Amino acid sequence: MNKFGSTRRGFLKAMGQVSLGMLVNGSIVMRTLAQTKDPMMQHDYTGWENFHREQWSWDKKTRGTHLVNCTGSCPHFVYTRNGVVMREEQSKDIPKLNGVPEYNPRGCNKGECAVDYQYGPHRIKYPLIRVGERGEGKWRRVSWDEALEYVANGIVDTIKNDASDCISVFTPVPAVAPVSFAAGHRFASFIGGHTHTFFDWYADHPTGQTQVQGLQGDTCETADWYNGRTILMWGANSASTRIPDAHFLQEAVLNGSKMYVISPDFNSTATKADVFVPIKPGTDAALALSMVHVIVKEKLYDEHNLKEQTDLPFLIRTDTKMYLREADMVEGGSEEKFYTWDTKTKKPVLMKGSWGEEPEKRAKLQPGFMGRNTFVFPDGHLDLGDLDPALEGTFKVKLADGVKVNVQPVFEVYKPKLNEYTPENVSKITGVAPSVIIQMARDFAMNKPSMIITGGGTNHWYWSDTVLRAFILLCAVTGNEGYNGTGVNHYVGQWKPTPLLGVVKLSFPHSPKKHRFCQTTIWTYYHGNVYDAMENDGVDTAKYLREALETGQMPLYPQNGRDPKVFICYRGNWLNNAKGLDYVLRNLWPKMNLTVDMNFRMDSTALYSDVVLPSAHWYEKTDLSMTEEHTFIHMTEPAIAPLWESKPDWEIFALLSKKVGEVAKKKGFTKYFDEKFNIARDLTKLHDQQIDGGKLATDEQACQFILDNAPQTQGMTLDMIRKEGPQRFKSNWTSPMKEGVPYTPYQHFIMKKKPWPTLTGREQFYIDHPTFFELGVELPVYKAPVDADQYPLRFNTPHSRYSVHSTWKDNVLQQRLQRGGPMCEISPADAETRGIKDNDWVEVFNDHGRVVVRCKIRNGEQSGRVTMHHEPELYVDLLGGGNSQSPIPVRINPTALVGNYAHLKFKPNYYGPGGVQRDARVEIRRHTGSVTV
Amino acid sequence: MSNKMLTTPMRQLTYIVDLNKCIGCQTCTVACKKLWTTTPGQEFMYWRNVETTPGRGYPRDWQNKGGGYKNGMLQKDGHRPTLEEYGVPFEFDYAARLFEGKKGRVKPSPEPRWSPNWDEEQGVGEYPNNIFQYLPRMCNHCENPACLEACPNDAIYKRAEDGLNIVNLEKCKGAQDCIKACPYGKVYFNETDQKANKCIGCFPRIEKGVAPACVAQCVGRAMHVGFIDDVESSVYKLANVWKVAIPMHPEFGTKPNVLYIPPFVGPAMQDENGNMMMTQKMPLDVLQGLFGPEVGGVLAVLKAERAKKIAGQGSKLMDTMIGELSDSMMISPMT
Repeated sequence: MNKFGSTRRGFLKAMGQVSLGMLVNGSIVMRTLAQTKDPMMQHDYTGWENFHREQWSWDKKTRGTHLVNCTGSCPHFVYTRNGVVMREEQSKDIPKLNGVPEYNPRGCNKGECAVDYQYGPHRIKYPLIRVGERGEGKWRRVSWDEALEYVANGIVDTIKNDASDCISVFTPVPAVAPVSFAAGHRFASFIGGHTHTFFDWYADHPTGQTQVQGLQGDTCETADWYNGRTILMWGANSASTRIPDAHFLQEAVLNGSKMYVISPDFNSTATKADVFVPIKPGTDAALALSMVHVIVKEKLYDEHNLKEQTDLPFLIRTDTKMYLREADMVEGGSEEKFYTWDTKTKKPVLMKGSWGEEPEKRAKLQPGFMGRNTFVFPDGHLDLGDLDPALEGTFKVKLADGVKVNVQPVFEVYKPKLNEYTPENVSKITGVAPSVIIQMARDFAMNKPSMIITGGGTNHWYWSDTVLRAFILLCAVTGNEGYNGTGVNHYVGQWKPTPLLGVVKLSFPHSPKKHRFCQTTIWTYYHGNVYDAMENDGVDTAKYLREALETGQMPLYPQNGRDPKVFICYRGNWLNNAKGLDYVLRNLWPKMNLTVDMNFRMDSTALYSDVVLPSAHWYEKTDLSMTEEHTFIHMTEPAIAPLWESKPDWEIFALLSKKVGEVAKKKGFTKYFDEKFNIARDLTKLHDQQIDGGKLATDEQACQFILDNAPQTQGMTLDMIRKEGPQRFKSNWTSPMKEGVPYTPYQHFIMKKKPWPTLTGREQFYIDHPTFFELGVELPVYKAPVDADQYPLRFNTPHSRYSVHSTWKDNVLQQRLQRGGPMCEISPADAETRGIKDNDWVEVFNDHGRVVVRCKIRNGEQSGRVTMHHEPELYVDLLGGGNSQSPIPVRINPTALVGNYAHLKFKPNYYGPGGVQRDARVEIRRHTGSVTV
Repeated sequence: MSNKMLTTPMRQLTYIVDLNKCIGCQTCTVACKKLWTTTPGQEFMYWRNVETTPGRGYPRDWQNKGGGYKNGMLQKDGHRPTLEEYGVPFEFDYAARLFEGKKGRVKPSPEPRWSPNWDEEQGVGEYPNNIFQYLPRMCNHCENPACLEACPNDAIYKRAEDGLNIVNLEKCKGAQDCIKACPYGKVYFNETDQKANKCIGCFPRIEKGVAPACVAQCVGRAMHVGFIDDVESSVYKLANVWKVAIPMHPEFGTKPNVLYIPPFVGPAMQDENGNMMMTQKMPLDVLQGLFGPEVGGVLAVLKAERAKKIAGQGSKLMDTMIGELSDSMMISPMT
């Protein structure tokens, strides 16, 4: 067995070394020669068949991956012949973990044609400056020097005339390409501009998870799916949108696991399920709570887990509905320490591990993914010992002021609410038969380990936080957390830069505390003057937003009422994916004096920019790649030099920083004082800072810097990854890494019994905050989807099999495997009542915008909704402008604006309002206007 | 059969597609396309494609195109699919819109009317009991290759070393009889070269001990490949020991060496109140239509073996299909 667990057999067994005439040696070619030979020398290499042999040949083989926000992080080899990249193929060298199928091959229909973007017609070859209107596609080709000077002028003038915080840099998802990511963040950090959050804005951040667990999120690697015996595929469609990981589910099913697919439509994953649960869109929390109801009623719950790991035994005052705090009971007591009721001594007992308790050993680091660092508490801190806290009952306590009040455990408070979620009641809400709810609940509680796999289908809703809270509750009551094969496993966005510290150090050289993080949802809502229509649903967004901004709970840039002036975008297609697209194009984009895009393809944001800088393709630069879906870090490297005049992002920002210094000197404006952070800035030093005096001059150096500066990657070198292939992380976020064992999160809490980083130090289901009370969500409940748009059909915009967001939407090969352009999909019944036939042009519209698109009739679609795979480019086969984001406004859930409640506070991508995109309602009708062909 | 080009190969390579694992992701389609059919004249052809069944398929309505054998007789008068039936490959003028200021949208041209995957996931039946299934297809490298026998120029031959059926491009004169004769619609005509093109089984990879692109790159891990005489290979076990891998449309008479494990996993029917019934959604007659009468027995074996797994007992068959190691499913996947 070699390190890939391989036992090469078959006809290769008895062969010796035979060289391959046609394959010229490169370093990696040498390594694989032994595997590619002709054992019996039986083939005649002289005949016409050589024609085909030559088609499969190369003279150079390099490592590559696709630096795009898809979560796959798939290691590839890239094959080059005569200086032309021919194709790519999965490298298939991710080491195998124990007892589960291997990860290889990882890479999908998009990844296997990524080379198309190197040579395709969308490639940006030269620096361009706009000569027509934004979006027109009329350009003047300029030199790098001229382009950079144009941008630098805009930057220096803005700092001089307005303020540095009028300058935005948008570049998302560090896990995808941390070096590229860091380049722009580092630049923004040094000039005092601001960068943008993205995980929340993309609606991918699981706010409910932060509310319950005090974490940005954490999840098992997908090999662990195989260990689930009951698997609820709930709001995700792995067969279409988690393609490299989907096999683990099919394999688990063959291995005897039972898979439920809970989805409004009969989707590709559902064809492989044991049970397809056709749920009404947006009613998932009701279904989960009904399962909890059944589990509690049938006493199938894990009492010990609830008592030790959750706040369900914590006492609530019946008079104020607030937690009973130490400050209530003791003069000068803490507001952040809490009680349970000891059933033995019949007394309230102060619980360890709450927010008010400081560990003996103070934390040096506060990881960005946690509310606070609780890992410094000793193991066993949550252990109950002899304590047996009550889950039920009403008790009397005497407060410090002598007043006696009734208190109840959270579980007791919750019971009447939970009683409403009988399978019969919930069946009316969800459309799921009571018999199915009951069976699913029993399986989840008894056929363990059980897990939920979830994604955008549940997370992109206004009330997604309540859904996540219900999901986590379901796992907590059944003890399905912390063990292999369990948990709520949430995958949307490639959000987990596991070696976080290295990325942070490279990106935020003054420390993250001295960096302006702009909350993108608020920024777009505010500067785009977005109308959210929420008064129709009884929510006054402005009231909550005003309070959050005035009290500094959430940030808004630029400050002091200034307008944004400069927008620099790269590695992201911000404009194309902006919710409230029509508002943004009308109100926000014109505020920009200068829009800059760095890209290898002309996407919509580039098309609507003033300056476009050509950046290197994924196979033309060096960077790292990682994901939450597996625990291996790997790399891409240049197969060829950057084509035409393109350059790696790291180099572009180095050049830009140099040019900014030169322009600043020319203008006689080089120094300014940043009062917010007390930093005296000097633009003449910018270049030296950006490349750290030459220590970070190249992207390779930057890669190694990340590896060196995080415990998860300690001891790894770029060369090691190049030669040996993907390397497994040495440590991880909320569980230890064990050799050969799939990573599953939360073991530091569940097994080591360290406090959760929440107010109560437990998985916290009760949130006694005024906003939560006002909205009726202090406990996990079902909240109906927002019906503020007065239209009949729900507008569903999921990910697609054929694209990663907008990337590959313009790929000819992918289009030919579809119908040549974007489509929306509706049920036969909805089509018939509207006189729509298959492949008709239709108009999808509401008060926020419209999109005219082809319509496909799909039997598996539920009546009452329109599905349109999200974010086709503004210039593809859509009539009359707009795209799938046009009918979707920006909607802000007030619960995500809370920033003054222990673990609920703004940190970039940790907590903040998401970009809601599934609640929108639309109508659809046949398009009767002109269609040029 | 009488054709001097048809030798009995020393070894026969066999492919198995596990429809329980295929997720319809088209990775194989793209992998194959990027490796073999990128030159002018090949735009419309997908040696490997994945279609939805029930559906019209690629080329459209191929299941009724004719060809193959009837009572041992070659059917030469099969239909030669038109470009419209394959799907006219449309083009996009991105450069004009993005770099030259041309107005409007970038539209596919000519206007798409059909494409290889046009009816993807449409299937049949009424929600929530509607059905569809992905069906990957390639040249079957048949034991009785109709294409080979039909060729008037002896341009198609079966390789002795691996049993792959290949069009010799030097000998092909563009007669197109092979295209009419293949009942699976898997031989294509390259108008540019005036030659027949078809799947070559990735023989250059096979020769080097590397699995074909559609197998090695199958991210659903749904493919097996090996020599059928290798008793340790998964193809031998699945086809000859467990007998769960069977040809599609055996009635076509060509004896395919690409076999399918029929889909036995899948949800149950629901009554009008949403209660689960005992019968599976995927009707037996649909599968019988594809795989013949044998399929019922195959499904029974598969279900019984999975039942063992559910009960916590082992199943060698399920383990073979799971294929913890890719190496156990194919000759080496490594390149």
